Amino acid sequence: MSSVTDIANERPTGALAEQPAAAERPATRVRRSALLLAISTLSVLTVLGVWYISTERGWVSPVFLPKPGRVINEGFENLANGQLGKDIWMSTQRVLLGFALAGIVAIPLGVIMAVWAPAKAAMDPFVSLLRPLPSITWIPLTMLWLGIGEGQKVAIVFMGSWIYILLYTVESTRRVDPLLIRAARNLGASDVGVMLHVILPGALPGIIAGLKVTLAISWSCVLSAEMIAAQNGLGALIWQGKDWGNLALVLVGMLCISLVVLVTDKLANMLERLLLPWERHQRT
Amino acid sequence: METMSPILAAHRVSKTFTNAKDQQVLAVDDLSLEIDEGEFICLLGASGCGKSTILNMFAGFIQPTAGEVLLRGQKILKVEPRCGMIFQSYALFPWKTVRGNVEFGLRMKGLSRTERRERAADFIAMVNLRGFEEHYPAELSGGMQQRVTIARMLAADPEVLLMDEPFAALDAMTRQVMQEELLKIHQQSGKTIVFITHSIDEALLLSSRLVVMSARPGRIKAVIPNELPAPRQIAVQFSPQYGELKSAVWSLIESEVRRHGTAPD
Repeated sequence: MSSVTDIANERPTGALAEQPAAAERPATRVRRSALLLAISTLSVLTVLGVWYISTERGWVSPVFLPKPGRVINEGFENLANGQLGKDIWMSTQRVLLGFALAGIVAIPLGVIMAVWAPAKAAMDPFVSLLRPLPSITWIPLTMLWLGIGEGQKVAIVFMGSWIYILLYTVESTRRVDPLLIRAARNLGASDVGVMLHVILPGALPGIIAGLKVTLAISWSCVLSAEMIAAQNGLGALIWQGKDWGNLALVLVGMLCISLVVLVTDKLANMLERLLLPWERHQRT
Repeated sequence: METMSPILAAHRVSKTFTNAKDQQVLAVDDLSLEIDEGEFICLLGASGCGKSTILNMFAGFIQPTAGEVLLRGQKILKVEPRCGMIFQSYALFPWKTVRGNVEFGLRMKGLSRTERRERAADFIAMVNLRGFEEHYPAELSGGMQQRVTIARMLAADPEVLLMDEPFAALDAMTRQVMQEELLKIHQQSGKTIVFITHSIDEALLLSSRLVVMSARPGRIKAVIPNELPAPRQIAVQFSPQYGELKSAVWSLIESEVRRHGTAPD
């Protein structure tokens, strides 16, 4: 099977290949991915089956693990009364707002730090001090400054995200191939031209990769903020479930978080492909 | 001919680098060279003889430690777009299509979109890449990528083409085709070309004048006019005149190779 993979992924990289990529063999690929999908499905069904049987037969007490049916009922109930939708939306809103603000601040700052040493020297001590702090440690201060409203949740997301976006931006901007910068200058590019046509597009794949990693971090920030002080949101939902001894609700909340993060990740991947058309042909 | 001033000149140029062990290394030592407009100069020598250093100084990427480098009598002090460099590793912008790459120099000059398209189309056709305009470099083979860099450079219309072993990464057959293409381009455009190689055959096929360099530190060992009949094709290699010239060049290089233990191809 492994030799098939190699052939399927082969692209002409050598100088001998004067013609562009020969088409991959679609039939082989489809068969292979169908097989892998079947294995994934089987694996999920097995785990669900074990869960179902062990709770149905009473091998595991419902105090520790509710039955799958209970979780599904709980999920539909909360979906029907609009509570779940509202919680998902509230958390998503906080994440997106905090994450967007972090990006707006950190990306330009990171680019400046990468190309202008004094800016990096000025920022580095703060980056070193702030980076080790988990976002949750900002909860007391942000509550004091911003209360327990939306601003505080967004601030937690911001504080937990911006440093990572900054570090990814600095790193990927510094890694832009200096030969390409030389080539651009040699072709008559000004500083602005080099920035727009070489440095920014060169750093973009790394910045986007950093944003994707940070988006997951932003989600964990909002959840911890909501667990500590919030009326709504998925974090608050899970915490309520815990307080009321409703484990099914806790599991519903956890499942929703996974699903929402998965969906945002898929959306981010689509956006990435749209923004980086040249990367589609790159071998990974 | 006597009164013509050189387009490119190096006057008593030296260049010292600091290496990783913090030692001073003399890469080029007291080198003088004058290149006339329209010449096809091949710099020939073993690895480490400072060929690339000289080219980088002509492009303005680095400055000499002593002496001066001149373009049309003016000192080259910063990156010089009139001396276009073609890199061995292509240096194409991966995020731009073939057309985007070829248009780059024109875009930097502020040409309008339609003008850029037209000019770029001519050069893409010239290097036989019509139909690949919307492809990204990663989709092309090495030979095609090198043709894109040549089109990109020609479209930017520099006065001098500096080529740093541009065909070294290509297979033998593609290289031959590219060499003949380059000769054609040189004849058509009349541009001055400074071409680095460590292949004697390549140098004899392409150059109008050969500059043989000695290694560590880089100095000019001999300047040999190449009087093989032009226009040349690969078949020139079978002429007796070619054999004589080749053995003369080889005997110049041989002692260098024995001294340093690195051979040209």
